[in-house]
Amino acid sequence: MDFLLNLLPHLLNGVSLGLLFALIALGFMLIVGVMEVINLAHGSLFALGAYIVIALLAFKVNFYLAFLLAPLLVALVGMLLELCMRRTYGKDPLYGLLLTFGAALVIEEVIRLAWGSGEKQLAVPAELSGAMLVGGLIYAKYRLYASLAALGFILLLYIFLEKTPYGAMIKAGAHDSEMVRALGINLTRLRLFVFALGTALAAVAGIVLAPIWGVRPHMGVDAVIPAFLIIVLGGVGSFWGAVLAGIMVGIVVGVTGAYASEWSLLSMYLLLIALVTFRARGLFGKKTALEA
Amino acid sequence: MKRNRRKLLQMLGAGAAFYGPWTVNRVWSQAAQKKPLVIGLTMDASGQFGASGMDERLGAMLAIREFNEKGGVIGRRIEALHMDTETTPATGSRIAERMITRNEAAVLIGAVHSGVANAISQVAQKYGTVFFNTNSSSPTEAGRDCHRVKFVWDGNGTNFNHAIVKNAMKASGRNWVLLTNDYVWGHQTSKSTRALIEANGGKVVEELLVPQNTRDFSSYLLKLQQIKPQVVATAVGGDDIKALRQQVVQTKLDKAYAWINNQQDWPDVYGLGPEAVFGVFGTTWYYRLDLPGVKEFVAKYQKTYPGVQIKVPGNVFLNGYLATREYLRVVEEAGTTNNIAVIKKLEGRKMAAVDRMQHHDAWIDPATHQVQQTIYMASYNDKPVEKDDIFKILTQVPPQEVVDQDAPKACKLETYEATPSYEQ
Repeated sequence: MDFLLNLLPHLLNGVSLGLLFALIALGFMLIVGVMEVINLAHGSLFALGAYIVIALLAFKVNFYLAFLLAPLLVALVGMLLELCMRRTYGKDPLYGLLLTFGAALVIEEVIRLAWGSGEKQLAVPAELSGAMLVGGLIYAKYRLYASLAALGFILLLYIFLEKTPYGAMIKAGAHDSEMVRALGINLTRLRLFVFALGTALAAVAGIVLAPIWGVRPHMGVDAVIPAFLIIVLGGVGSFWGAVLAGIMVGIVVGVTGAYASEWSLLSMYLLLIALVTFRARGLFGKKTALEA
Repeated sequence: MKRNRRKLLQMLGAGAAFYGPWTVNRVWSQAAQKKPLVIGLTMDASGQFGASGMDERLGAMLAIREFNEKGGVIGRRIEALHMDTETTPATGSRIAERMITRNEAAVLIGAVHSGVANAISQVAQKYGTVFFNTNSSSPTEAGRDCHRVKFVWDGNGTNFNHAIVKNAMKASGRNWVLLTNDYVWGHQTSKSTRALIEANGGKVVEELLVPQNTRDFSSYLLKLQQIKPQVVATAVGGDDIKALRQQVVQTKLDKAYAWINNQQDWPDVYGLGPEAVFGVFGTTWYYRLDLPGVKEFVAKYQKTYPGVQIKVPGNVFLNGYLATREYLRVVEEAGTTNNIAVIKKLEGRKMAAVDRMQHHDAWIDPATHQVQQTIYMASYNDKPVEKDDIFKILTQVPPQEVVDQDAPKACKLETYEATPSYEQ
């Protein structure tokens, strides 16, 4: 019983961490789904979001307003990237991969030039900072708000994809882009929009995580690797698969961090290996023609 | 008479015009004719210690600049060649090999990560190239991983522990938790901390290993609260300690226990705000030490690097500077870059306190090749004189009192005969 009581805070902490991981992964997956391109610049855009908020705060912009503006600005960068990518459509997927890899390097170097290589701190408003008691243990208030924000964005994205005609178009585009074009939907515009939405989500995740992780030019690498892993774990293209996989990764990392700390980072890879060994398509991935 | 005076003035003017620049230019023209002396800067520009690597590079560049302004060394212009070792041992090996075999570097300078330093030193020893480990402080660097060609310029984990552990135990209690970065520096530093705690009647209740590049420390912090230690001793470095510090402050656990951070490198704490500095920690230098030359050195840094983010120099920068300057001085004294001649000049070398801007004279231990120097204990400064004044120096400990006694037993330097002769 004591063991379970000891374990409980770590499970809750894992869920909180997992929701943040899931938020990063969903933006990544949206682009993979519709564009069929792995956006290697996702991590750099994640970092850019945090840096833009820092810049806006320096101009005395209100924190919450900066939180809304920064993803929009990052979305514009994402749209620019999509315009560059158009020449790669229909060609070897390696071209798209290389382009986004190059973009990641460019964005990271621009960050270094503009803000320097050193660590920066994103200060949060007083009402979001401080600590609270959870079951006798002290927990950062901001972490709870960050988890709630992640959950809110996940639900909003779900409603958008499931309950609006735009969402239906995106899903259709991910399923069969040629058919969508045949139905008269402007696929070019749809791709532009999806890229903007995906990159805005990366920025949101970057801003939410910045006060926890700290802000540095290469912080995106720390985000994009778990995101990639979560997509594979959840099953490529599955919304709730990504959310569930995110939570699983969060719990595994959190619990191993407490009881076998040296295994905490490795644990997510072990989880992936274990799951993929028995279910190659991930938790909710669809069967391929070969498996049917 | 009037005419003679005019003629004399004309001759003096012509002489000044010719000989004035000529004395400088002659040195340069001679230096330009000779092969430049290439210093290979093996410093991280990315990865966990990217910020520190860039800081120590600026230090090395300042020393090189000073010598070049004097006309170089032994009549040779000095060229700096930097490659990013990426906080990765394999990259460190590859770059060391390349700098020695292709770029003909006379010396390799720079390291923050102990694994990288060890990897570079193995390559350097293979060729006989002198290597200065500027800022990596695992006790193994001048212990079991020592080499004839390697010189360690930073204080190591044991030096810092000697300065801190006893005092912390008296002030805060005997039940300790160790938070250890899961690589060689973390392991060796915590091993040394554990030995000192136990030797003084304390107890290590638990040791939590922190993988490198950990960004979320919440599970560790929850675990700490469940263990309820009196003291938490961290051996966590680079970007990891920055993230840890932020999260400790967010949860207000900085007030719950006594926090001991073995060593606090300046780039890891600069710009984070005074509230992010907590506990007691060790360092080898601070920019507001009340010692001769410190103010001038700070002014020189600011004049040389006006655009850098770190506005005042710290321990990492200083180590890069002092190590490079000492190498160039030794080459000048020896009149050669021959490795054996340089090594012999360095072994047992004494360096005056005033020259290094520390409280006590330093020396290079001939048995381990580690610089024995003053260690400072510091904490957060609650009465800062200016924005960057975030450290309060609590005390300074002479090098004799913090010597790592185990290092000479573990270190087996290669013989001179077994070290290849090398000269560039």
